[in-house]
Amino acid sequence: MILAVNNHNNIIKFSAGDKNKKSLEYNHDTLLDNNFATRTKIGIDKLTNALTVYPAKGFKGSKNANFYEFLTMGTVPYIIGSITMMSVFNSANKHFAPFAKTKASAIGKKMALGVLFYGLLKNASKSLVTKPVKMMTGIDTERPYAKVIYELPDDINDTDITSIEHHKVFESVEFPRWDLLYGNEEKGEKRNYRYDKIAKKLGMGENLNDSDQEVKPRIKEIVIKTNLAKNISSYLWAATGVGIAFQKPWENFFNVMTFKFWKGKEFKKSMQSFGHNFIESIKEFWKGEGKGITKHTGKALAGAAALSTITGVINAVSPKSTNTKNVINKNERYVVD
Amino acid sequence: MSSNLINNYISKSQITQQQTSVKPKPDFNIQNELNNRTFIKPLKGKGKLLSGNILYAPIDTFRDVKYSMKALSHAAKGKANDHELGKLNDLGMMTGGLAIASYLFTKKTTPLTKGMEFVGLGSFFASMAIWPKIAIQLPAYLLHGVDVQKQYQDSFGRRKPFYQDPQFIPWDLYKDEEIQKIGDRMGVPKDIPNRRDFIQEKMRKLAVQNNTLWMLTAGFATPIMSALICNQAEPYLLKYQNNQKNKKADQILTNLENYSKKYQTNPVEKSLTEIIKKHSNQPINQELIDKITDVFTTDIDPVTSENFKKDLLGLLSNDRYSINDTTAKNITANLHKQFADKGFSKEFLQAVIPDETAMIQFMKDRGFSGNNYLKVDHTEISNTIVDEIINRAHIFNQAHPDDAEDLGYIRELISANKTEEHPIAKSLKEVRASVLDETAQGKLKKLAGILDNFRAKNLSLDEYALTKVGSAPETVIANYWNNVSQELMKSIGFTSKEIEKVRFNRTLMGELLRGKLEQIVSDKSAYDRVMGILVEKVASLNTQIKPSDIASHMLTDTGSQTIYEEKVHTIFEEFAKKLREQGFTRTANSIIGNGNNDNGSYIRIQKAYVEDRLLGVKSSFNRLINTLDLYRRAATNPNALTHINPEMTLVREVKEELIELCKIIMLEGHSSDHATKFWMLRNPNPALDTSPLEVEGGKIKNKYLGNAAGTTDISTDKYFYQNAMKFLFGDEIHPDTKAILEKNVSIRDEFTRYRQLIMEKLGGEKYFAKPRHLVSGKNHTGSDIKFLLTGIAPDEFFFKAGQQAFNTKKWLKMFGGFGAGLLGTTVLIQFFLGKLKSPRQVKND
Repeated sequence: MILAVNNHNNIIKFSAGDKNKKSLEYNHDTLLDNNFATRTKIGIDKLTNALTVYPAKGFKGSKNANFYEFLTMGTVPYIIGSITMMSVFNSANKHFAPFAKTKASAIGKKMALGVLFYGLLKNASKSLVTKPVKMMTGIDTERPYAKVIYELPDDINDTDITSIEHHKVFESVEFPRWDLLYGNEEKGEKRNYRYDKIAKKLGMGENLNDSDQEVKPRIKEIVIKTNLAKNISSYLWAATGVGIAFQKPWENFFNVMTFKFWKGKEFKKSMQSFGHNFIESIKEFWKGEGKGITKHTGKALAGAAALSTITGVINAVSPKSTNTKNVINKNERYVVD
Repeated sequence: MSSNLINNYISKSQITQQQTSVKPKPDFNIQNELNNRTFIKPLKGKGKLLSGNILYAPIDTFRDVKYSMKALSHAAKGKANDHELGKLNDLGMMTGGLAIASYLFTKKTTPLTKGMEFVGLGSFFASMAIWPKIAIQLPAYLLHGVDVQKQYQDSFGRRKPFYQDPQFIPWDLYKDEEIQKIGDRMGVPKDIPNRRDFIQEKMRKLAVQNNTLWMLTAGFATPIMSALICNQAEPYLLKYQNNQKNKKADQILTNLENYSKKYQTNPVEKSLTEIIKKHSNQPINQELIDKITDVFTTDIDPVTSENFKKDLLGLLSNDRYSINDTTAKNITANLHKQFADKGFSKEFLQAVIPDETAMIQFMKDRGFSGNNYLKVDHTEISNTIVDEIINRAHIFNQAHPDDAEDLGYIRELISANKTEEHPIAKSLKEVRASVLDETAQGKLKKLAGILDNFRAKNLSLDEYALTKVGSAPETVIANYWNNVSQELMKSIGFTSKEIEKVRFNRTLMGELLRGKLEQIVSDKSAYDRVMGILVEKVASLNTQIKPSDIASHMLTDTGSQTIYEEKVHTIFEEFAKKLREQGFTRTANSIIGNGNNDNGSYIRIQKAYVEDRLLGVKSSFNRLINTLDLYRRAATNPNALTHINPEMTLVREVKEELIELCKIIMLEGHSSDHATKFWMLRNPNPALDTSPLEVEGGKIKNKYLGNAAGTTDISTDKYFYQNAMKFLFGDEIHPDTKAILEKNVSIRDEFTRYRQLIMEKLGGEKYFAKPRHLVSGKNHTGSDIKFLLTGIAPDEFFFKAGQQAFNTKKWLKMFGGFGAGLLGTTVLIQFFLGKLKSPRQVKND
């Protein structure tokens, strides 16, 4: 539907524009620093939108609803699902007879802890791949940027048609935002300074004429391999987290567990117990019990997670061997599609 | 009024002078242009909509797996595209899920809990896939005619959701007639302008709304659906595993010889080889004997182990002991220990007890060191050493007359000890003269072979016994027990609300159960139904655990040995025979007993385990039959109550007390109640009313019971006890019960035997406070058999079963209700989705 914008006295506020700096922080797509503060800010922003703005837009069937919003809303089932899963294993226990209640509670609480550790280790373990890759290649595969979106007005009264989305430069390996990595010459930055750094780190030489063109294929390759390692290893670390949550020492923690932080002494004791039993659980997970294969499953699981991380990083930083002689077979017919 | 931009443009363009097209170049050559590919067009799109037929699901799954593997290979080489990387996330999730299930599988101890880990994983992924189909896709299609989860395949063969990105929907894949048809189904007016665009917008809106609905509901739905699937799948998995387990156990018994190869790992032989390697040709001392015994008797009971040790000692010893420097050192140390704290001065001890060097020299001088001696020679050696000490003491006394010690006391201090405590004698027999030479090694190796062979067969027998009747979760008998208890809960008619009220209190459950039973026994058809089910369920145990395979001989008359017993006898007797051949007579006796008496032997333990387990379970169910029958008898003809002494007339009040006691005992009584000959507060001066008892609704209308003051247990009234036992277990069963039992002769016989056994063994138990309270003479059966015969009290049986039923139902009610509510709400919301105001119809002027 095309609205009669010309008849609206031009009051539509492209608030990202220079003239109407109303509320948005950026007026064009902007590369952001990948630090804790930015990540937290982005995380909060995305979570808030996923729980409020995007569902509202989605339920209205807004013409501006897009794939980014749908993907961001994907956090909602994760959060609700985790809480529901904890609830499934714990809510009914209070109705059981004392003995069954004790038994069911111990399992239920371990399940809940497993859900928590799954989420924590899944997210935290990604850094085990991305950080070493960044250190070794200079490529920050997680580099965020703010994207300014111009939307269609919902109706003739809708004057605020801009919004910000938080993306990652390499979230698409087919269409990375190479443009954002160029330096701003107006600010005195060298146009290719970021690509120069990467080229140097990758051992491709210094003062290259077109460092961007030289390193782009390598960056793409590294991003793909890093994503693979991150995907597989993060789920194995998550599984390791569940394994740790299922160890017996946690039962000691559950006996003194409290979330009442205003009760200083009790809360402190609870936290100390958490730390102590966390270490004990890791030891027990590693040590194993029983005999034969059963005894070593903890080691196998943690080992698989560590191995997937290490091999993933090694694979990511190792250039693929290309036989340059046979890049183009002159006897073949090629069609560009 | 405003006009829009397009109208402005149209009106302006109408007044603009039309420009003439540029004439083609005179030298334009189409063939030349084509050859130079100036006009080359994009390749024709190969995308298509996918039908999503469920019949293609296996092919789709296979294709997905193949695609994921290809994506993995591409990604590892750094060549994957966005779509392939997206697929790798699914692969990672699946890998992680499998890792969790596999780890937890190893942590769980029973086959069901292990199996449920994978059922849980499967159900979780299934729920993720099923929920959007049944709660989103299907209702949306039925209500609006739009498949909001439509898939398409792009030109590169990649399968994607059609509405994945609402800003880039490949509408061109839909033919016009298809869109128009959907529009018709959605009720879009036919004569509106740009109808296709309007329908597409409506479809898009519906899809966006549904995708949002999916995201908001999936978090609740997936775990709950998964848990509900697990909850429903669990009994089927249990049933399947139980059948498999039972079949496997039957096969173990049939092919025991072959099956035992699984356990033929020769651990004794392996451990012995290690010991021989370490101690070959070394003297056999106590430490070595203990080591060898430990290796040989790891899985054997303590009595047999002890006998084995003795036999082993005999096998390896030659009755001689060695004396060496260590012996001399030990003697000095022992003597110092012996004289310590006895008030001797330091100087005295130093002068009298030879130090280690002196003792070694002394033993050498006397020719003791380096030789082997029989036990009888030890006295002489010991005396020589004592004489030397006395001699030294004498010299000391002469040198220190003021500090002189009593020589007789010194001699007594050493010689008065028994061999085990004697400071010299015990050191002399520390080192045996025998060595672990080739002959001894050969004997031990032969013995190890015999033991390994027996061990393998015995472990197979154990596996069979444990699978069938083990006191552990998920054994055949445990599954049977749980299954029957839940079935009986249903047939007796416990409601969820009733169970909820009484679940924390056994007494309340007892009262509820009593009410239910009294209600059932008051109606013949209800009684026949419940008793029929009970007998049928009791009989079903014999199909799972055949009496010809294992049986409790006390209850079941198998006529001869069961197959299990035959196998046990063959294996144990063969083992004992081989042991005897090796001179291990004591061990052989402790394995199969002496003569015809196998009490306390290993073979007895092996047989008794299965018998006792079966006796306990069968007695519990026979008790239930008897309880129901007793209530029926009390409800239909309580005045037919016969008594031990026909000359005595029972007054109504005593009858009321007697029937009440019997009802309580059957429902709640333990073996301790039988041991104390029942205890009841009774009226010592009952009313002399001989009027008949009255019954209403299965209950006795008590006229006197509970009204009297000063009630007490009358321990002198042996008749009351005898009458109660007779009424409980001695009187004829009710004709209705008899009729049902006649249909199942084996259960009838077991039940008859059970009642006789109770009368004989529990009725014959002597209680010191009520010595004459016997049914028919004393009986000396052990308390274990009495306990097993008593079985579980019905109130306890249903109390436990009730808790189990409540837990399952409560959970199901909570989450099943929530799941149903969620599904209902999700479907209901769909009625309000996809609303779009139709554009104004075109006016035909």
